[in-house]
Amino acid sequence: MGKIQISASKAFALHFLCAAALAAGYCLARDVYALNLISDPAQTLRLLLVFEGPVVIGIYSWIRRDPDSCSYLKAVGRGLLGLPIGASINAFGAIVLGAPIGIKYLTKTIYWSFLMSLFTFVPASCVFGKSRMDWQRILAHSKPMEGVDYMISLPAHGAVIGAWLGAWPMPLDWERPWQEWPICVTYGSVAGYLVGMLASSVFILILRRQDPVKVD
Amino acid sequence: MGSKWALIRPFFLILLLHSVAIYLFTRGFLLTRTELSAYSRCSDLSHSPCSALHNSSSHDDRRCWTKPAVDRLVIIILDALRFDFLAPSSFFAEAKPWMDKLRVLQKLASGEGSSARIFKAIADPPTTSMQRLKGLTTGGLPTFIDVGNSFGAPAIVEDNLICQVDNGVMEHLLPSLYKDDWDVLIAHFLGVDHAGHIFGVDSTPMIQKLEQYNSILEKVVDVLKSQSGPGGPHENTFLVVMGDHGQTLNGDHGGGTPEEVETSLFAMSLRSPPASISSILELNSCKLDLDGEKICIGTIQQLDFAATVAALLGIPTPFGSIGHVNPELYALSASTWDGQKMGTNNCKSWSNLEAWMQNYANTLCINCWQVKRYIDLYSATSVIGLPSEDLHHVAELYAQAQTSSSNTKKSTCLSENGISNETQDSSASVLQLQIDAYSNFLENVAKLARSAWTEFDLILMAIGICFMLVSLSIHLFAIGRVNIVCGSFYAVSGICAYPFSLFTAFLLVVIRAASFLSNSYILMEGRVANFLLATTGILNLRYSVRNGKFSKDEFVFLLINIIIRFGIGFGMSKQTVGSTSLNAQYLNILGIYEGHPLWMMLLEILPVIMLSLLAIFLYKCTLGISCWGYLKYLLIMGSSFSYMLISVHWVSESKLIAMSTVIQDIGRNLAPRIVFAVGLGLLVSSLLSRILGLKDRDLNPIASLTISTVSMLSSWSPTILILLGRQGPFVGLICIIGAWCIVRAEKEQQIKSKSGTLGGFAISPVHVTQWNLLAVCLFFYTGHWCTFDGLRYSAAFIGFDHFNIIRQGILLAIDTFGVSHIVPILSLPFLVMLHPQNSEENKAKGIIFVKLTQVFLIYGLITSVTTMFAIICVTIHRRHLMVWGLFAPKYVFEAMGLLLTDVVICLASLYYY
Repeated sequence: MGKIQISASKAFALHFLCAAALAAGYCLARDVYALNLISDPAQTLRLLLVFEGPVVIGIYSWIRRDPDSCSYLKAVGRGLLGLPIGASINAFGAIVLGAPIGIKYLTKTIYWSFLMSLFTFVPASCVFGKSRMDWQRILAHSKPMEGVDYMISLPAHGAVIGAWLGAWPMPLDWERPWQEWPICVTYGSVAGYLVGMLASSVFILILRRQDPVKVD
Repeated sequence: MGSKWALIRPFFLILLLHSVAIYLFTRGFLLTRTELSAYSRCSDLSHSPCSALHNSSSHDDRRCWTKPAVDRLVIIILDALRFDFLAPSSFFAEAKPWMDKLRVLQKLASGEGSSARIFKAIADPPTTSMQRLKGLTTGGLPTFIDVGNSFGAPAIVEDNLICQVDNGVMEHLLPSLYKDDWDVLIAHFLGVDHAGHIFGVDSTPMIQKLEQYNSILEKVVDVLKSQSGPGGPHENTFLVVMGDHGQTLNGDHGGGTPEEVETSLFAMSLRSPPASISSILELNSCKLDLDGEKICIGTIQQLDFAATVAALLGIPTPFGSIGHVNPELYALSASTWDGQKMGTNNCKSWSNLEAWMQNYANTLCINCWQVKRYIDLYSATSVIGLPSEDLHHVAELYAQAQTSSSNTKKSTCLSENGISNETQDSSASVLQLQIDAYSNFLENVAKLARSAWTEFDLILMAIGICFMLVSLSIHLFAIGRVNIVCGSFYAVSGICAYPFSLFTAFLLVVIRAASFLSNSYILMEGRVANFLLATTGILNLRYSVRNGKFSKDEFVFLLINIIIRFGIGFGMSKQTVGSTSLNAQYLNILGIYEGHPLWMMLLEILPVIMLSLLAIFLYKCTLGISCWGYLKYLLIMGSSFSYMLISVHWVSESKLIAMSTVIQDIGRNLAPRIVFAVGLGLLVSSLLSRILGLKDRDLNPIASLTISTVSMLSSWSPTILILLGRQGPFVGLICIIGAWCIVRAEKEQQIKSKSGTLGGFAISPVHVTQWNLLAVCLFFYTGHWCTFDGLRYSAAFIGFDHFNIIRQGILLAIDTFGVSHIVPILSLPFLVMLHPQNSEENKAKGIIFVKLTQVFLIYGLITSVTTMFAIICVTIHRRHLMVWGLFAPKYVFEAMGLLLTDVVICLASLYYY
């Protein structure tokens, strides 16, 4: 098969690493640089990006689909290539949905879309490369899923749905600073991402239980 | 034939139910008071029964309605002045930090024989500054949508010298007091309201603000007092310090709770009335204040303020006032005491009190006559008048008061002639009786007015909601029945099921509808609709990608979404800023300046190019269909002719090309009229051809449906385009591209999911929802929004200079609802007829109409669900701060949209089937 199976504990550990990177980035921003998402969204998002990026690319390149034909470095390269592509797709989606456009928001939108790309697009591009079948399967949930699919699909969907939900408080007239683009959307997507990772760990656990023969 | 009627009948049933529901709910909710444009004039008094009394006794030319009791009036309005800000803390169970801060007024009001007094003023909800100021100045009840020419509600603020910032007020207030070029001075301080909104009542800024006001008021009182000596400018000045409404501890207001409704009023006459004042005011609740002095507090309805002030100043009471001259406030002014003695020479022996009562009775007589006159004129002219039995009751009371008045006159004459001490008591009691009769009348009028104009009829509203619910369930039932019919057609070939799609559509509609529950989302409705539309676009894109097919239609649809989004954003900024120069601002961002000649050229030429594109598209579309007959040529000729006229109209309006006035006039007025006429002609001819010609021919139902849809749309298009103005062609293109994308997506999905089995929907509900959302977006894109100032009045005057309610009303309606209701519904058949057809379906001729019925029903259901939520929302928020500004207009637009949707669906079903 050439596929690596993933155990629940491993999946959980990898997810934990991703979450920890996010947390570390956030803590560093808050404690060392005294930044926070509400007052300086651009800088904080950049710091989160710097922490999360290498971790995500590293982890998902390691669990790449075809380890025999594709070296680790090549997977990393795929991930790096996928980052801007995913970012532009995410930015396009955000603009379609009504993200403000203007010089003032440009840097924020760019950093936010890169972060979203890390949550959604980069893992899949590290693992699958340009295998169209796999991408379709991730989107469709149609064929039987494997552990890695869950690891990619659920957090990505979680992040997108979270961001979508996170946009809803924006029009309210509460006049809180966090209602600005992209702060609450970022909160939403991070929350959705974390929930998705938790869900994927649980799903993998269930999958292992049902199907213990496959464990090697 | 029978089956055709079976398909059409539900639409009419639903239309009927909706009309009943909306009629009932509107009767219960929209308490309309028609504004009368009549004014009160001095000379009017000669018509009143009181006039004889007055003219005979008065030789004073200055006198208008009542004898002026004060020369000058200073009104200081402190916005959101709670009752306990001014009233001494001894009146409350517990002293709070914000109490007793306006000590200067309390001191003035305390003590025996003081000419100052504190009142508890009770406002009528809604307790918003705008409505209250209106109420204070007109003496009416301002709760309702004031039907009539009051769409620009802020006008009343501009009229008065009211709206100013605190500092500006302070700067101007004190110097003005020294000048003598005014009779009434109004100062409006907004600070307390502001502090309340931001910090709440129990906060340091609030207390600081109150202390600051205390010092200002102290200065004002000092100035007034220093000049109040005989011959001074303020010899007979009356000072009023009042709040327009209260506020809750959080600083909110607008509702009807005691905290919000109770505000305070301080009044002081700089000339002391005789000592017997206290006898009038015995009813007051009196307590000892902090310094141990007796302080009394009266009560006054804010409704009565205008009438009382008018009586004090001796000016005509505002025509629409239903207030009652308040005795306590009226008695504060000294001149009301001595005035009568100087006027009527015969009654020297009268006590002060009796003279005052006589004077007050006269004032009330005028007051009652004025109120009666207003009520009579109102019930004669307004559409929804007052209940007749109540009117009758009030009229009886008035007659009673008048007869007792004539009796009193006789008795006073007696007492004037026969000077005896015994009759004095009786004359006082007679006067008292008469005052009571007048007061009784006025109270009843106020009660009647309150019930008619400020109280919602909850029962009617509930019945309306019930009817709406019934109509919704019938709607669902009808959809279910059509689904069964539809399913039977597909029994062999397998029906497409959309459980997920149904769920998505349901979710989208409910989210949009539920967003009406918050005022922010109503303000941003265009954005919300666009957000949801974009979400459907993204879901469709995801759907096609996961099926391994990236179609560019979905991508184009998203691009269209971006354009719509900017259009809506632009419209929204217009709504909030309300300035016309915004266009320029927008362009400046893009780096283009408005004056740039190239840009101007582009702005002129672009719409014409777009229009020709649209014409070419229509031409191609028409050519593409065979078996047309004469209608085809008629349509092509008519629409291309009217498109040419539209461009002529635009060119004639442009400033770039100088033309003779004759040509300009033709272009400006004649061309649009011809366009309207051609549009009507095309409409009639397509109707006629449908009725006469095409029925008989054994035509493929799909082809015939296509012909009727295209002819319908092309006959509507010129009218709508010219009304939309230069954005028209662009909107039209967006409309077509968006609709095309939706139809294509529908087709794709049809081909894909032939294998489904359940549900019975021939058309994916998501696409119908998308159609609806697109329509909503276009409403906002074309620069409308759901308030009355969001109507594009200028569109109604295209081609006409003069106002005619029916003609301009129709044009305005077409402009408002054309692109968001009429066109989308009329073009719904496109969703059905571009469907892939298989051979079996072609055999069954009726299937296309069953599908169309399904689409119409779903579309109608979506509209009625959103309207249902709008109704629930206004019911919940009926005492909300913004109910008349935001929720009620939203309800009106939704209700009108729903009725129009139903009507258009009914007509369309008659036409198409």
